[in-house]
Amino acid sequence: MAKITIDNKEVECRDGITVLQAALEAGWDIPHYCYHPGLSIVASCRLCLMEMQMPHPKTGEMDWAPKLLPSCQTPVKDGMVVRFNSETVKKNQRDCMEFFLLNHPLDCPVCDQAGECYLQDYSYRFGRAESRMVDQKTVNPKKDIGPRPLLYSDRCVICSRCVRFTREISGTFELHVTQRGSRSEIDVFPGRPLDNPVQGNVVDICPVGALLDKDFLFKKRAWEFRPANSICPGCARGCSIRIDQDEDVVYRLKPRYNPKVNDWWICDEGRFGYKYIHDESRVKGPILRRGQSVTRLLWEEIPDILRFRFQEHVEKHGGDKVAAVLSPFMACEEAWLLGRFIREMAPQAALAMGPVPLEDEDQRFPVGAKGEAVKFEISKEKCPNRRGVEAILEQAGGTVLAFEDFIEKAGADAFSAAWIVGGYPKPWLEKAVAKKLSGKSELLVVQDIFPNDLMAEATFVLPACSWAEREGCFMNIDGLIQPFDWAIHPPDGVKRDGQYLFEIAGYTGLYSGKRVRELMAATMPAFAEVLAAPQLAAHAH
Amino acid sequence: MIDDKDILLIEEPKLTASERLFLPQIFDGMGTTIRHFFKSLVGTPMTVQYPEVQREQRLENYRGVHRLNRDEQGRVACVACFMCATACPANCIHIEGAESPWPDREKYPTRFDIDELRCIYCGMCEEACPVDAIELTPGHDLVGRSREEMVFDKEELLAIYDKTKDIKPRKNPRITGYPGTGNRPGAQDEQKEKHQR
Repeated sequence: MAKITIDNKEVECRDGITVLQAALEAGWDIPHYCYHPGLSIVASCRLCLMEMQMPHPKTGEMDWAPKLLPSCQTPVKDGMVVRFNSETVKKNQRDCMEFFLLNHPLDCPVCDQAGECYLQDYSYRFGRAESRMVDQKTVNPKKDIGPRPLLYSDRCVICSRCVRFTREISGTFELHVTQRGSRSEIDVFPGRPLDNPVQGNVVDICPVGALLDKDFLFKKRAWEFRPANSICPGCARGCSIRIDQDEDVVYRLKPRYNPKVNDWWICDEGRFGYKYIHDESRVKGPILRRGQSVTRLLWEEIPDILRFRFQEHVEKHGGDKVAAVLSPFMACEEAWLLGRFIREMAPQAALAMGPVPLEDEDQRFPVGAKGEAVKFEISKEKCPNRRGVEAILEQAGGTVLAFEDFIEKAGADAFSAAWIVGGYPKPWLEKAVAKKLSGKSELLVVQDIFPNDLMAEATFVLPACSWAEREGCFMNIDGLIQPFDWAIHPPDGVKRDGQYLFEIAGYTGLYSGKRVRELMAATMPAFAEVLAAPQLAAHAH
Repeated sequence: MIDDKDILLIEEPKLTASERLFLPQIFDGMGTTIRHFFKSLVGTPMTVQYPEVQREQRLENYRGVHRLNRDEQGRVACVACFMCATACPANCIHIEGAESPWPDREKYPTRFDIDELRCIYCGMCEEACPVDAIELTPGHDLVGRSREEMVFDKEELLAIYDKTKDIKPRKNPRITGYPGTGNRPGAQDEQKEKHQR
């Protein structure tokens, strides 16, 4: 632990970090553009300059150095004395801001970054009120640099964060700075557009409105969102994300800093993979089918009807004829509640987990990196909670089948009552499998987000919710349990999976992930305390 | 959920015997009416015979029905920045923006609805607008047969501009509060002069 003095206050900080990082962590709000904790340090924006005490070359006494030093590039050393509150430092910040705004078009009203723009914030806090620029502004054209981001080079401050991102994190080297001095511009090489699986991050790290998301362009203003913290369900990594929603419409996903999983990044597949939650073809409302007649059920009557039907079935055919297929898209709490209900109805019932969507191999970034050098990873498992559901099945004990065995057994008439959970964003039940399962069950409950082939003969159809509407926790591929909040309300007529499973399992009141985790903790102590990744202060990025 | 500390219980004030009768208050009120009745018999009346006689419209500061201004080329002047919708205390403005089809403009509204029934005519939208695209007009005789009819869309608001532009022309459009950044004629020269001084 090094002890340094910032603005006459003593601060203890970790060894090996820079003064800027120490100051940001201790709560100072130091303006900076080019510094990003996840990227290398270039000290090019000159906004974070500080004054530092050095021994005077003649007298040897400690005195303030005549020149300002970049705090982002100066490592901390025990006994160091620096200051940010002097007039020289403030003048530098003011002058730097004036330079940044020389060619800026000041088109905040039509810029998507407005509201979360560091150029706005810093010019308000550290800049000057009026521009003294008299000459014509340089106008750089709007550039289409790739399929996802759009570059407005007239808003750019040449912090080179995006360039360093493509060199250090994605390892694809698409972006570079062309020209010099006031003519500098970000650009791509001819014929090589910015096109890699993590390119969306350049929009996030851009401190100004130079790089904008084409998908989100002009859709919404940044201050209108009521965000919720969530976990990306796209793959088994479980990156921390923030869901930006307004009036129950999700407009974009943004990464949340989580040093244990994703640092500052998320992949494009996760970032843009949420569109299915607003699909019109989703299952709406619970249905009961008796022969040919189809009745819409009320949510209030479902727990009693289901309990009655399962009890009746077990009495008639025996408990070993009951099976349930849990989905790797379920939250741990939901899987536990359903498992509990099935085992309560029939202790000999078989439990299984649905198919895990797999891709060929994990993707690692920078491209081609191995071992320690890997900065970001996308798992080949395209579901968020395989490990969580497996852990719950393991704890449940009794007959636990693999999905293939379940199909085999079901095909051989081993089960006459089944509860099958889907919730996959893409069609998951293959035709052949559905054919094998069809006509085997007298009592079939299908819980899915989109219509599947089994629904036509299901006794009960229960609508499932997308992860953005649910609450609970996912266990990622490394066994880390992470909670997520609901961001939007389910569509009309749909209830949250957790809530109705909570009622079906015999509990009353409002479902909450925390409440169920307290119940689970009795047998699975890992769920006793599930904490979200600590949130970084807004200015510390 | 409202916190207990945010709940303030207020006792209703007790009425005195004369207040409970309500008669003194009724006579007091009738007194005012009758006083004005006789005053208008002898002097100039306060009211006019609407619609035959109409008061002069107060163009400067009357806050009536909104209009959406057009720019010099007849296009909608709005840049879909949502400032009016953000400033609106009644949440009566609904905008959808899109990339503009014109090369000199970045963004324009594909939808611009104002619920005239919900609006409280405070004029904050006018104040918030960075391009003076939304303005309140002197129009106060606003009627409709249904609630839906009273939600004015972009075309209707532009039509109000066409109707009122002669009696109340559009204010100077400026892009920001900075002098010299607007597209007013002579704005750049003004700025240069200021510096020479």
